[in-house]
Amino acid sequence: MNKKLSLKNVGTFLVFGGPSIFAFAAVVIIPFIVGLYLTFTNWDVRTGDSSLIGFSNYLEVFQDKVFLSQLWFTLKYVFFTVVIANVFAFFIALALTRGGKGEQWLRTGFFTPNLVGGIVLGYLWQTLFSQVLPYLGNKYGWEMFQTSWLTDTGTAFWALIIATAWQLVGYLMIIYIAGFTGVPNDVLEAASIDGANRSSVIRKIILPLTVPAIVICIFISLSRSFLTYDINLALTKGGPFNSTELATYHIVQKAFLSNQYGIGQAEAVVLFAVVAIIALTQSYLLKKLEVES
Amino acid sequence: MKLRKYASFVICLALVMGVLAGCSKSNSPNNSAKEGEGEAQTQQASKDVKLTFFNTSAEVNTVFEELFKKYNELHPNVTIELIPTPIGGAQLEKFQSLLASGNPATIVNLDAGTILQYKDDFLDLEPEKAQYEELANPGAIEGALLDGQFLGIPWTAQGYGLLYNKRTVEEAIGGTFDPASVKTRDDLEALFKKIEAAGKAPVMVHGADWSMGAHYLGLTYSLQSQNVDDNRKFVEELKNGKVNLTENPQFTGLMDTFDLLKEYNARKSDPLVADYNRDSADFAKGNTAFYFMGDWSWAVIGTLEDRDDEFGIIPLPISNNPADFGNAQVAYSEPKLFAIDDSKSTPEQQEAAKAFIEWMVTSEEGQNAIISEMGLSMPYKDLKAQSTNIISNAVSKYIEEGNIINIGVINYLPQDYWAKTGASMQKYLVGKIDRQGLAQEVQDYWKTYAGK
Repeated sequence: MNKKLSLKNVGTFLVFGGPSIFAFAAVVIIPFIVGLYLTFTNWDVRTGDSSLIGFSNYLEVFQDKVFLSQLWFTLKYVFFTVVIANVFAFFIALALTRGGKGEQWLRTGFFTPNLVGGIVLGYLWQTLFSQVLPYLGNKYGWEMFQTSWLTDTGTAFWALIIATAWQLVGYLMIIYIAGFTGVPNDVLEAASIDGANRSSVIRKIILPLTVPAIVICIFISLSRSFLTYDINLALTKGGPFNSTELATYHIVQKAFLSNQYGIGQAEAVVLFAVVAIIALTQSYLLKKLEVES
Repeated sequence: MKLRKYASFVICLALVMGVLAGCSKSNSPNNSAKEGEGEAQTQQASKDVKLTFFNTSAEVNTVFEELFKKYNELHPNVTIELIPTPIGGAQLEKFQSLLASGNPATIVNLDAGTILQYKDDFLDLEPEKAQYEELANPGAIEGALLDGQFLGIPWTAQGYGLLYNKRTVEEAIGGTFDPASVKTRDDLEALFKKIEAAGKAPVMVHGADWSMGAHYLGLTYSLQSQNVDDNRKFVEELKNGKVNLTENPQFTGLMDTFDLLKEYNARKSDPLVADYNRDSADFAKGNTAFYFMGDWSWAVIGTLEDRDDEFGIIPLPISNNPADFGNAQVAYSEPKLFAIDDSKSTPEQQEAAKAFIEWMVTSEEGQNAIISEMGLSMPYKDLKAQSTNIISNAVSKYIEEGNIINIGVINYLPQDYWAKTGASMQKYLVGKIDRQGLAQEVQDYWKTYAGK
């Protein structure tokens, strides 16, 4: 009887869960395992040669100063992108939940960049940074815009952050708006009766009650900016002189331009570990701040 | 209020799904389903053949598509699909990922060097060699051999050097300009001074890594000797760390000239912007007298409105001795070859591909498309189309006189050499490193390839 029931359960589970398990295995789990295997070989698409070489790919990764400095560069990039995108998204969402006129249109407007593909967006900002702004800069004598931001190592870094954050803000804003609408009205009313001003309402009520939204937003912006590739490719192509190569860009170059698949894949595994550790730690820590209203 | 909450959630969800759907669509340009389809079709009706064409001459994607359509009208059983790549974008990366995932294109238009690296995946065209030797210019097929094998069919010839805008140069010097009058670096500097005095920018240096790394610095390897094998030996010595570039006359000569170009560069204030269309337009409209580029830029220049009419090319002088190799020669190569896949394609596909390539290089439609529309020169005899590319006509004169630098050595260089050394050249261009630093970085790059 019991056996029959559990068999039936398995059958039901397979009917509903099977297709998605199959899809997940086919595009995520199996490629991941094959990828892990590749890191222990010296596979080369040109010769088809692939013999096991142990951990020497990983050894090379940790000796590759270029990769390590680009990983550090990526960390800096991610930090600033996450902070800027979230701060802007939070305040835009706050401004757009006060019930003003035309709010819906503004929300749509802020969300639109997120619908533009990364490559298109990259070229758009490239035109802005290397043509429109220098043109205006030279016309009105604004020194900071007189040369293209994309040709200097320092400003190209910020250009990359601005473009990514611009794309992310709309997406995060929607999540924050959803979070704000979840704040119960009675609490807000009670606060205003008690004479709380706007800033203390934000700090003492809205912020603690939207921690779940913040956790999601930071998680999304973290993982998305760690895996930025398209904007990097279209906006700076890693330039000037490879100074703005993000880790993902470096990995693609390593594998597909320099033909070092094993090392490239090992770098990808290292990147995966870094992203996983950081993302899980932050959501674990922030989850502790959640409160019930 | 509640309705709004749900509505925003639903909209949010719909948009997210939209984004995901968009991603998945754009990620499958040529997936395995298509290949399976093609095989099934060939089994069903042995006549219908579907070919894919991987194109790295991205600036002429549309011309190729037109050609495919025309060929399909003539041969309704053959359909050809273009796999485009972006200009200067991740072309090799895409080729490799197609190959690595087991979906290579039937026909590829690739750099000779790439074909050499993947030579086991391409069809040996030895049976066709005699026929093409008949059709092509003397030496053209010989020049396209890779390690002695005929793997790719040459279809275009390219030259590069210092292009000049005749009107701008002549207005500056106040008379007719004889390109042969520039024999040395000092001659060039004197000319630049005159042009600058006339209020025009003397020279355009395109700051992209491919131009800097492959075309400019790449001359270092080709200028060592007129013999490609000797140049290959030089590269081997570089890899083994036996060459000190700062003591190499060709390298120092090139870099001395580069310093000159740098000083008179039209993009001096922001050299790395490297907007190909804008740089070409400034040259074509006469704002800049010289342009370090090749005849391929005609694809952009030829179609511009209110451009000047007369352009020419001079060699890039690398010393003050007119007799030195390179001072009277322009760089020349057959950069792109058509090759046929031999890893996954069926014999039917290969035969169809051979017929199509032959049609492209011999038929009037094909030659017309390549010569008139793409503006390229073809290394073939009895051409049925007249070239409108003034720059490649100028290059042809050097070819006829035998005044060329054979840059065939680049076919044997690793695929990432232009990107890596190009980055070092860019650093030098903006003054981030000095010549010692540049030589060091380039030597270090080559050392990573020691013994490979």
